[in-house]
Amino acid sequence: MIVKVNNLVKRYKELIALDHFNMEVEEGEILGLLGPNGCGKTTAINCILSLLNFDKGEIEVLGKKMTPDSYDIKKQIGLVPQEVSVFEKLTVKENIDYFCGLYIEDKNLREQYVEEAIEFVGLKKYEKFYPKKLSGGLKRRLNIACGIAHKPRLIFLDEPTVAVDAQSRNFILDGIKKLNKEGSTIIYTTHYLEEIEMLCKRIIIMDNGKSLVSGTKEELKAMITTSEKIIVGFLNIEDETINKMKNIPHVIDVEKDDEYYIIKFENGINNLANLLEFIKENNLTYTKLHSQLPSLNDVFLELTGKELRD
Amino acid sequence: MTVFKHFIKIALRNKGVILSYTIIFLILSILNGSGNVQRESNFIETRLDIGIIDNSNSELSNSLKDYLKEKNNIIDTKLDEEYIKEQIFLGIADAIIIIPEDFDEKVINKENSIQIYNDDRKTESLQIENQINKFLTFINATYENGEYDLKDVKLALDKKTEVELVESDNKENNRGVVDWFKYYYNFTSYVIMAIYIAAIGLVMTDFTDENIGSRMKISSKKFLQFNKEIYLGQLTVAGMITLIFILGSIVLKGKYIGEVNFEKYVINVVVFSFSILCLTFLINNITRNKFIINAMSTVLSLGTSFMSGVMVPQEVLGENVLKIAKFFPTYYFVKINEMTVNSFLDMKYEISMQLLFAIVFLLMGLYFNKVKQKA
Repeated sequence: MIVKVNNLVKRYKELIALDHFNMEVEEGEILGLLGPNGCGKTTAINCILSLLNFDKGEIEVLGKKMTPDSYDIKKQIGLVPQEVSVFEKLTVKENIDYFCGLYIEDKNLREQYVEEAIEFVGLKKYEKFYPKKLSGGLKRRLNIACGIAHKPRLIFLDEPTVAVDAQSRNFILDGIKKLNKEGSTIIYTTHYLEEIEMLCKRIIIMDNGKSLVSGTKEELKAMITTSEKIIVGFLNIEDETINKMKNIPHVIDVEKDDEYYIIKFENGINNLANLLEFIKENNLTYTKLHSQLPSLNDVFLELTGKELRD
Repeated sequence: MTVFKHFIKIALRNKGVILSYTIIFLILSILNGSGNVQRESNFIETRLDIGIIDNSNSELSNSLKDYLKEKNNIIDTKLDEEYIKEQIFLGIADAIIIIPEDFDEKVINKENSIQIYNDDRKTESLQIENQINKFLTFINATYENGEYDLKDVKLALDKKTEVELVESDNKENNRGVVDWFKYYYNFTSYVIMAIYIAAIGLVMTDFTDENIGSRMKISSKKFLQFNKEIYLGQLTVAGMITLIFILGSIVLKGKYIGEVNFEKYVINVVVFSFSILCLTFLINNITRNKFIINAMSTVLSLGTSFMSGVMVPQEVLGENVLKIAKFFPTYYFVKINEMTVNSFLDMKYEISMQLLFAIVFLLMGLYFNKVKQKA
């Protein structure tokens, strides 16, 4: 394990920010830390990195206990904070050089790493620009370059795509995959489901400072009862028919969402065929019909009773 | 030395603050020094326009009037305070003299006998006061058996003395040069304080930014090494700023350096700079807000300069103002510039006070730093 967190508790006076939080990260993986804003993701990262004191628990990074003086461990860590954290009075290149210089003392090696980082985030033609001249997306790329220029073994990316345009977001996500392919282990926090689904091999779902579940996407989705949702729009349908619909095999629930009905099925085969047969038998006319497999949002909804984006 | 190197880079990019203060200061110093460094070698008494109101009309008062008439032009006036003040304000009269009814009695009793209206800011005021004092001193000297010897007084007053200014052994005998250096270095206290707090303070707000600070904390750069480089950066920037002002005085009045106690000014400004650097350290540990830092730069530099005698001489300031000024190093800095120093011992108290302030600022800064780290 490259990171091991056991029963971590962090309190801010009466507020419990982390409540016996657990996490294990294997070398070479991209681990997604998923949860709504304020659930404790950043607090967890700050505790792991010894930026915050904690009340209880154990943290091991790279096989050793992490403390503020663990400089040998810190040498192998990179952090991309949630806020763009760069010097406004330094150019793109100077910023990367400064943060890389906090790890790499050899001037030639540092120059090489800085050049590589600039290329990696695609900021070559902006290297002499000051951050205030960059767009939001380019600033985010600079923020990433400052955190990874020294080629760390373990990288913490804290919501690196917040308020970023689609083009920059794709660029950033592709870059993260590339970093992982080059051997870095990545801990990625976000509240964007699509990013987690696209990037992460394993996911930890957090809420109220707790790690609710962890596993692969498939494992998480298998944990919930709803295995399929079919969304249908009917021209005319009576309440009695809706109630009858609940008798179709494997149907758990039928919900109305605006003009459509969401029919939830538990694990079973031929759900769509069974529904179509029901429609035919009851002479119903439908305007729209499609099937959906459960998402991580459904997992979160079933585990916590609320939407991830609430 | 990455931190040091980038500290200097960021400081130099705040050159707007440094340059604006420095250029304005140097221009003012050039203007201030363009005419008043010539040595005064003679003294010419000029005829002034004065008004006299004699309420006594005694032999003595008439004698005084005659004496003043010989030396000055007499203009019309009237016993109306508003009118008199207007004559002075408009420059119609250099002085208005009111001789009281009981003039003779007051002279015998050596009481303040004459009321003089004049403009204190004009050097002419001194001349008329001198003439009256001279007359009264001579009159008192001849007073015997209830009478004055007015003839003797007239003879004595008519005697002329040739005055020649002789160079003394004192190094600081060229008043114009001494005053220029005094004003120049007094005003450096204002610019040094303003620039240090603004320029170094603004750089430090970047380095102590919470998010940038987090990146530093998780790096493999040791905390002690990081701080060492930051302090070295501050010391370098501060040293460069102070050096600019020392060099400024050499460039502007280099040929007169031998005529003043230049070492006094240099030692004093170096000690003062160190003290203000420590004050900047304290401020940086109290706040990270750029607006507050800018405000402190303006308020502290202007406020302490005014209270400590940079803008107005310490002698003119009220007792309470000076009492408050003693809580700031600028007061002791100005005191040294104003005094004649023959050896280091003459200014040891003022130097020690400035160093004491430096230590207090440093300790307070370290305390707030600790408190912040715990939070």
